[in-house]
Amino acid sequence: MKKEQNIVNLQHESLKKHPFGVPDGYFESFSERLQKRIREDSASKVPVRRMVTTARIRVAMAAAVLGVALISYSIIRFTAPNSGSSGFYPDIALLEQLQMIDDDSYLMELMSSRSEALNEEEAFASQAIEYLAINDVEMDLLFE
Amino acid sequence: MPEWDDREILEGIKIPGKEEVAFNQLLQKYQERLYWHIRKIVIGHDDTDDVLQNTMIKVWKSLPSFRADSGLFTWLYRIATNEALTFLKQKKKRALAPWVDVEHKISETLESDPWFNGDEIQLKLQQAILKLPDKQRIVFNMKYFDEVKYEDMSVILETSVGALKASYHHAVKKIEAMLGDD
Repeated sequence: MKKEQNIVNLQHESLKKHPFGVPDGYFESFSERLQKRIREDSASKVPVRRMVTTARIRVAMAAAVLGVALISYSIIRFTAPNSGSSGFYPDIALLEQLQMIDDDSYLMELMSSRSEALNEEEAFASQAIEYLAINDVEMDLLFE
Repeated sequence: MPEWDDREILEGIKIPGKEEVAFNQLLQKYQERLYWHIRKIVIGHDDTDDVLQNTMIKVWKSLPSFRADSGLFTWLYRIATNEALTFLKQKKKRALAPWVDVEHKISETLESDPWFNGDEIQLKLQQAILKLPDKQRIVFNMKYFDEVKYEDMSVILETSVGALKASYHHAVKKIEAMLGDD
């Protein structure tokens, strides 16, 4: 029953009227206000575009300069001699230096020990040759 | 005030130096109808004024390229509807929290709105309409208050006549149920 009553109410003409109001003279002044806004929009459009364009150009130029500087720096840094072991990685450079020193000393030690061994052998050989010469032993017998 | 013919308005728009006069004729003819259409979607007067201005600026910019395939009236209504829906979406996005129901807030402010002249039953009806989904609300308003033909509505909302009839039917049932619950 209640539902039927609501259906009737919804179809009632009084409900179909707009329940809203507007300030006095709103529609009379709307056209003038709108045309003023359109004029303002079109007047302010050009400077805004120019400002945006100028800012974009400046940012692009700054980015280009920075890019060129970075590329130049990279080229100089990575193509220069000894670029890998100096400057960027001082600790590694130091280690390499120490390694080289160690290698040199090791070689020196090795060479000197070998020369000592050679000297002992030479001395032994010369003593043997002297002994054989004194005792008149034929050299051919030694190599048989 | 004379009612300008759509064809005259559209021809005037194309004549250099006469554009503003023709546009003014268009405003005189349609501004009030479009205002009420938008007002029923966004409810508040100030919001309606903003949306109507945006609509008319878009119309002004698009008029030179307007091809009269569809009528001027349906084209204007379509722009106004889209602008109103876009406004509501932006309003929902601007809401501080996602769970804030914008339609519910509008419904609450309706009671204190100085430009709402309705009685208690009209207030309840508006509050019930605000609970409908946006597009169903537009269909209901256009049919119930403005008595727009389904064929015209179909062009404006780019929806089939059958879907519009079904949407209106569902909207009426929901509103009846909501008013019955009160």
